[in-house]
Amino acid sequence: MKQLAFGLVLLSTIAVTTYFQSEILRQRPTVLKLGPVPNAEVLKALAGEHRVSLALRSVARVMFYFGSFFDPNDNRLQKFPEYQSMFKHLENAVKIDPYNMDAYYFAQAAFTWEVGHAKDVNKMLDYGMQYRTWDYWLPFYAGFNAAYFLKDYATAAKYMQIAAKMSNNSLYTRLAARYFNEAGKSGLGLAFLETMAKGARNETVKGIYEKRIAAYKSLRRIEDAVASFVAKTGKQPDKLATLVRAGLMQEIPQDPYGGEFYLDATGKVRTTSDFAMMSENSTASPDLQGTGDINKQKKDKP
Amino acid sequence: MWPQVLLTIRSILRDRILHAVLAVGLLLLILVPVFSSFSMRQVQESSIGLALSAVSLVMLVISAHLGASAIFRDVDRRYLNVLLALPITRSQFLVGRFVGLALFLCGCLSILAVCSFLVILMAASTYPAQQPIAWGTLALAFLGICNKYLLLTSVAVFFSALSTSFSLPFFSTIAIYLAGTASQEVYEYLVGSFGDKMPEIFRALSKFVYYICPNFSSFDLNIYAVYSLPVDYTQFLLTSLYGLAYTLFMLWASVLIFDRRELN
Repeated sequence: MKQLAFGLVLLSTIAVTTYFQSEILRQRPTVLKLGPVPNAEVLKALAGEHRVSLALRSVARVMFYFGSFFDPNDNRLQKFPEYQSMFKHLENAVKIDPYNMDAYYFAQAAFTWEVGHAKDVNKMLDYGMQYRTWDYWLPFYAGFNAAYFLKDYATAAKYMQIAAKMSNNSLYTRLAARYFNEAGKSGLGLAFLETMAKGARNETVKGIYEKRIAAYKSLRRIEDAVASFVAKTGKQPDKLATLVRAGLMQEIPQDPYGGEFYLDATGKVRTTSDFAMMSENSTASPDLQGTGDINKQKKDKP
Repeated sequence: MWPQVLLTIRSILRDRILHAVLAVGLLLLILVPVFSSFSMRQVQESSIGLALSAVSLVMLVISAHLGASAIFRDVDRRYLNVLLALPITRSQFLVGRFVGLALFLCGCLSILAVCSFLVILMAASTYPAQQPIAWGTLALAFLGICNKYLLLTSVAVFFSALSTSFSLPFFSTIAIYLAGTASQEVYEYLVGSFGDKMPEIFRALSKFVYYICPNFSSFDLNIYAVYSLPVDYTQFLLTSLYGLAYTLFMLWASVLIFDRRELN
């Protein structure tokens, strides 16, 4: 009986400490959550044949870390993740296993739209293309980044041609042509996002894309209405309500990021949220604000 | 020699530590589809990588444990004196012991490989990859693992022939495994531009270790199997020949030492 009681006391102690411990561990600093960034060369040498598993673990840690900041209800970040540390872990992962597709895919999903580091991501993709010589997704991502974020259309066309050649599919050539002939930026973004969302199987990543697709579709609807208004009246609408009154839209679409659409002084459709992933009550460590590099957390509001 | 081989296999089959190690290995393989499902874009590749890692880890423990206790156990239980009183030579005893270990290792690896094929097939069916599974390359990767751990077992038997304890051969084998796994990377690093900045003595020492230590990284075909990359068969044959020669050399050296050892 005494033995049983002793066992029960031990079990209860384990349960209580686990409960409190889990909260403390959840709140621990990033350096402890993601771990320090070890030297990739040393890791590669020590890991030997386990390097594939090690790279997988590294990417999974970044993914879980990033996912822990997400509110599953509205697919928005509740806190600022430490993007710099995340990116270094991904860089390390591809140094250990340059074939690791998850690392390239996650870098494309998390470091272009939100952090605006398409240039760094393209460097990583260029590195990956040396190894994944059969994979047309990498030049496809790089081509999109070059066109959409960096506005380097010549480079973008080159990447798209590589993607077309690798996939033996003229779809990418047609996509490239269609993208580059698009008058509005939102059309280019929407086509890319729809392609990415189709292939996403991770719920967090899929959520990011779906939310952005909804936002761009709303934006596209307003842009189309503005274009129709201009074609009909020969002048720019002064505000979005004018488009509703003119019967070009039934109502002003909602911004899924919580902002409100408006027309700026030049007649361009904008939103007060700037399609930022952060929620209103999100918190950030002050030292990470406005550093201008990969830590740069928020875009300027219009 | 064959009775010795059978005796070795029988005694291994009774080893409870090995039962536990194999059970852990099978559990790791069962978990492969679960872990690989966390991957965003490469479920199939992850499952292959994880399965190969799990099998390699289990084989490392088995070969170091069996090799290191190849002679120690018989000395410790005083069986060796009884065995050597029989009409067999010491070299026959040692070679018989090694062949028994090698056959057991091959059997274990075959079971683990079949289980790996099944779990990989299961995981890959949930999210097929751009590249189909290269089953031939995967089989070659398992063959590479087999060659590597036969070589490691011969290293463990060599240390076992030198020592009467379990700890020295076991930890020496693990140390040689770590050095032999990293030696190629370190060598390439040192012969590159970075090596020019290193002291000459350090470079010479590293090169010496590189040439003397078994190069385990040359058996590693995991990356080829995971990403279905084309294998250089010439290199594979060369590596197999290197493995065979090194294993036989270690066995020869073990026999040489064991023949001259005082066993009271």
